[in-house]
Amino acid sequence: MLTTVAQAVVNGLLIGGIYALVSIGVTLIFGVVKVVNFAQGEFVMIGMYISYFLASRFGIDPLASLVVSMPVLFVVGVLLQHFLIRRVLGLGDMPQIFLTFALSLLMMNVALMLFTADYRTVQTAYTDLAIHLGPIYVAVAKLIAFVVAMVLSGLLWVFLHTTDLGRAMRAAAQNQDVAMLMGINPDRVFCVALGVALALAGAAGSLLMPFYPAYPMVGQVFVLMAFVAVVLGTLGNITGALIAGLMMGVAESLGIQFVGADSGLIVVFLMFLVTLIIRPSGLFGGWAR
Amino acid sequence: METSRSQASAKRHGRRDFLTKSAGAVLATGIALPRHAKAADVVNIGGLYPVTGSLAQTGQACVNAAKLAVQMVNDAGGIKSLGGAKLNLIISDVQSDTTVTRTETDRLISSYKLSAIHGAYASALTLIAVEVAERAKIPLLTGSSSDQLNQGGRRYTFTPFARASQFAAAQLQMAKLVSDKPKVAVVFENTAFGTSTSNGLREQAPGLGVEIVLFEPYSAGFADASPLVNKVKASGANMLFPVSYLNDLILIVRSIKQAGLQLAINGGSGGFVLPEFYKNVGPIAEGLLGVEHWNHDTDANALKVNAEYQKLYGEFIFEYGGGLVAQTFMIADALERAASTDPQKVRDALATLDVSSGYAAMCPGGKVKFGPDGKNIYAHPVGVQWQKGDLVSVFPKEDARAPLLKA
Repeated sequence: MLTTVAQAVVNGLLIGGIYALVSIGVTLIFGVVKVVNFAQGEFVMIGMYISYFLASRFGIDPLASLVVSMPVLFVVGVLLQHFLIRRVLGLGDMPQIFLTFALSLLMMNVALMLFTADYRTVQTAYTDLAIHLGPIYVAVAKLIAFVVAMVLSGLLWVFLHTTDLGRAMRAAAQNQDVAMLMGINPDRVFCVALGVALALAGAAGSLLMPFYPAYPMVGQVFVLMAFVAVVLGTLGNITGALIAGLMMGVAESLGIQFVGADSGLIVVFLMFLVTLIIRPSGLFGGWAR
Repeated sequence: METSRSQASAKRHGRRDFLTKSAGAVLATGIALPRHAKAADVVNIGGLYPVTGSLAQTGQACVNAAKLAVQMVNDAGGIKSLGGAKLNLIISDVQSDTTVTRTETDRLISSYKLSAIHGAYASALTLIAVEVAERAKIPLLTGSSSDQLNQGGRRYTFTPFARASQFAAAQLQMAKLVSDKPKVAVVFENTAFGTSTSNGLREQAPGLGVEIVLFEPYSAGFADASPLVNKVKASGANMLFPVSYLNDLILIVRSIKQAGLQLAINGGSGGFVLPEFYKNVGPIAEGLLGVEHWNHDTDANALKVNAEYQKLYGEFIFEYGGGLVAQTFMIADALERAASTDPQKVRDALATLDVSSGYAAMCPGGKVKFGPDGKNIYAHPVGVQWQKGDLVSVFPKEDARAPLLKA
């Protein structure tokens, strides 16, 4: 019994790392630019296809392809901000929602056209490997993904707290007008925020590739959890999104184990609702300090 | 004939619809066949397949198989009683969508003078197509497995292969071969496909001496299969029947491997028996079991068809595609005996079809004769196992080409 619970918690934490990585991207964009990016999952999908094609054409390990998928998606993020999102920023919520939602639909369907609906998997030496610690097992590919996700989150935290650009980003997030008065160029900051957020989505894609099949709709699997994690961890709060992502992974896993395999999400959303009743603005009422 | 049909449809659907339809028909005929030839030179056969949409990949493979079958019939001299008339296959894309299936079946029937139809891979789509075909009185053959296709007194629907209810029994009988005391975990995706299949398993299990220790619905499209696998592990099962779509199946099989669980797995039909499954999971598919209505190694003719298909498309011919070749030869046999392209006469000839040799009889059991409900009275499923990257028939004895390997 104890083994079963421990195994369920381990499984939940491992997938929670991926939820966290996707939701940190969403919460970063929302925190800084004040736009909800509904297409975040589709950028994960792009990251997966980049890794898939590098692996299948050139034999590059999906983890090594992080150094391609992250920069590529960083540039995509900067361009996205500069050419599309910037133009709808002053127009209120609806145009922003439509823009990113339309982008999501567009990307899924273009991917369907270009890559077909086929499932694409990459076989690596560690795809089916697991480390057995007594009765508990830890899948190697998922463990690597989890560790890299945590490292990237840590690096982001360091970036936001120790570099000028990072501080400028937090300043712009807290109060855009005052930040401008202090000589911060919001356009530049917003471009970097989008770039970093999409680079994280790309990283999530590359990290998923050794153990999850790529297909055009794959982003939808992760994005729902990511959005809940963003709200649960307080909108715009990066540490909050990280912790909420992990919590949701564990809640889902325990739910499947002890309530029913089609009830994992019921447990997640119950936890979500209870949290919102007690703390209406999520677990952390503010920007991480 | 063609004109009066078009006029009638124009009245029904309005001018724009009429224009698109006739333009489409002209285009299609221009590409598909030498329309200037004498009427008796070709026999039109309709094929309804989901070439786009969620089932696109399998749908396209069905079309490949159907084309190969028509070419085989034509290369062998066509329909001799019709002066060597060639079969002309007209494919219609039903887009993996029930609404489109209805309109496309309608369009196909009203645009062409068809002698017979085959289609549409997925039972949900076929159930719609047969409604339209029944009304138009055009015979329709299908490899879809839903038992519903044989209910409701249909007269133009023919199902040459094993039914869904027979699949469950075969899966349970195979369990007894793998273990003396099978303790089975059934995990199934919680929509129509998963629930109906798993209920069939649960109903028949006690009668066949199989104990079900876990009966667990799950929501398809999960991010991680390991919680589900953890649950299977906790149940103490020694065998797993997943009723799943391909993506979930890949994740489940991998998670079981990672968990180090020693389980016999029988994935039934569907995505599990496609060449694509092996391509995706690789060597860990070895030893996994499945159930099919057709397999490419059950007789010499099947092997011949498989070799031809392999040459063209680089993979073995999958269950539905192979069955489709047999279906085309059943239609050819009926045309031969009817000596007419009239769908009513073709239907009557199909109803009296009785073959036990040749490509038309190429199926598990090796005989085809339709009962009044359109069911092949000899049909039974074949149990298969992934062995060295190939899908090998292992059950029942008379169809087995290799012994069933225990994990």
